[in-house]
Amino acid sequence: MALAPNALCFGDGLPGAGVPCAVMLDGESLRVSPMGPSSLVDQIVAFADMAVEAGGLDHDQLVVSWGTASSARTLYVKDPALIVAFRRAAPPELTAHLERAANQVRRARHNHRLLWGTVLGVLTGLGLLFWFGTDLMVEWAVARIPIEWEQKLGETVYQDFLSKETVLKEGPAVRAVQEMTQRLTEKIPNNPYKFQISVVQSPVVNAFALPGGYVVVFTGLMAKAESGEEVAGVLSHELNHVLQRHGMERMVKMLGLSAVVGILLGDQQGLTGLARQVGMELVTLKFGRAQETEADVTGIRLLSDARIAPDGMIRFFERLSEKDKERVEVFSTHPMSAARAALLKAELAALPKRTPEPFTFQWKTIQESLGASEPKT
Amino acid sequence: MKCEILYPGAFPMVRVYLDASETVKAESGAMVAASPTIDIESKMEGGFLGALSRKMLSGEKFFFQTLRASRGAGEVLLAPTVPGEIVLLELDGVNEYMVQKDGFLAGAEGVKIESKMQSLTRGLLGGEGFFILKIGGTGQLVLNSFGAIHKIELKPNEEYIVDNSHLVAWSSTTTYNIEKASSGWIASLTSGEGLVCRFRGPGVVYIQSRNPGSFGNWIRQFIPVSE
Repeated sequence: MALAPNALCFGDGLPGAGVPCAVMLDGESLRVSPMGPSSLVDQIVAFADMAVEAGGLDHDQLVVSWGTASSARTLYVKDPALIVAFRRAAPPELTAHLERAANQVRRARHNHRLLWGTVLGVLTGLGLLFWFGTDLMVEWAVARIPIEWEQKLGETVYQDFLSKETVLKEGPAVRAVQEMTQRLTEKIPNNPYKFQISVVQSPVVNAFALPGGYVVVFTGLMAKAESGEEVAGVLSHELNHVLQRHGMERMVKMLGLSAVVGILLGDQQGLTGLARQVGMELVTLKFGRAQETEADVTGIRLLSDARIAPDGMIRFFERLSEKDKERVEVFSTHPMSAARAALLKAELAALPKRTPEPFTFQWKTIQESLGASEPKT
Repeated sequence: MKCEILYPGAFPMVRVYLDASETVKAESGAMVAASPTIDIESKMEGGFLGALSRKMLSGEKFFFQTLRASRGAGEVLLAPTVPGEIVLLELDGVNEYMVQKDGFLAGAEGVKIESKMQSLTRGLLGGEGFFILKIGGTGQLVLNSFGAIHKIELKPNEEYIVDNSHLVAWSSTTTYNIEKASSGWIASLTSGEGLVCRFRGPGVVYIQSRNPGSFGNWIRQFIPVSE
């Protein structure tokens, strides 16, 4: 029967890579049959004549050595079945040493696993900390930015933006927006911001808020809205982006750690410089989903506090989502989902019922005034 | 499968003769030319997870290519990416080699390849990364190196010291420890050797005569900096 090699034999005069051998247990001894072209003969090594230990790269091989000087031979056995059989057959005094080594290997392997487990655990922990920690860190850093800096920052970008646009200085539309803002801001407790609202002539259906309380409403939005309450809803949403300092949070996130460090070191100059760099990006700043939801919820509360019919906000959102194909920019970053509408409705149901007070203006008149001042396209 | 090294030296190529329906596993991208009877299959050795772990962990290519002589006997020419010698090893089922991740070029169908996690110290300091390839099984194995390949044969308990970035492959009967090149840390770093591996026999260690990392550093100074 041709035997498959299951061990390697090393020694003087043998190849460096070892000679493949077939090793078998044979009573009180091992029969070692060298394979291959060499002229080596079978050897029978008695248990009494050999020394055993664990060896190899992972200490998982049985090393059997015998002989002295030039006839010294070392056998490396990897086959687990043979190792088990050997440990059963060999006398305890021979294997006692081996058992100790085996225990050591087991312990080393256990420690090895433990170490890797710890390393992986620590890495996972760091990963989680980084994932969830950044938001907390950003909030923490933003809370340390004085409102005045934020205003300075917002104002720079606000003026830059307005200088390129046609701003409506007066007229029914401006007065209407001022009335809405007035009613909303009155109801903000401890309001640190002095809100500035501009109405900009543009067909874009949008409104945005800059850090520091600078809000821009486009006439396109007012033309699309069916009532003043709808515009007030969007306005309330935008005001709450400012109040929750979402713009700053996004900016700190965008600019990264360097800005955070700058803020901590009180480097206002650097911050303003960076803000100029990102300039217009701030205008088109995309808020995160969580921020949008927060602005929605706090926005509808503010509407209710200001006694402006809050369902206008929901209706406007719903209408826009129906016409989503038109890419209404105000919500293009986060298209209105049924879940978002449902959330607002639930929030509205939880709010105390208040009798809404209508605005002093007639929405039709406002829209007609816009239509008159806006060139038809 | 029969292998023959063409143009031995810095720019060698391996010619692999395949009998009908025989296959050879090769590093992906290693094929230079082949007979029209040879089909190339991309196979994830060790299944998808095995391949993924090899890719993620040892940086080895995700897929090995399998070249199959499905339409009759033929030959395939294979070459490594880097200039350097190629060595052929015959695996008999008992021999097992640990191979650093860029060392594998090709292997016969019976050659088994797995990636193996090293101990933390060896992974951190050994210079081969945390994962190396453990190659066993039966059949011919083709390894490639950067520079020439030098074979060191170690008798039982014989020791040899190798700069870790010159390692290509070593048999699993050897053990090694990582140590400083000189007795002091300063001397270790200033001697330019840093860390070395102290191998202990019996077994064989294959080393490459050039250090890829040092070569990279050296060549960097000649790369024009854009902008």
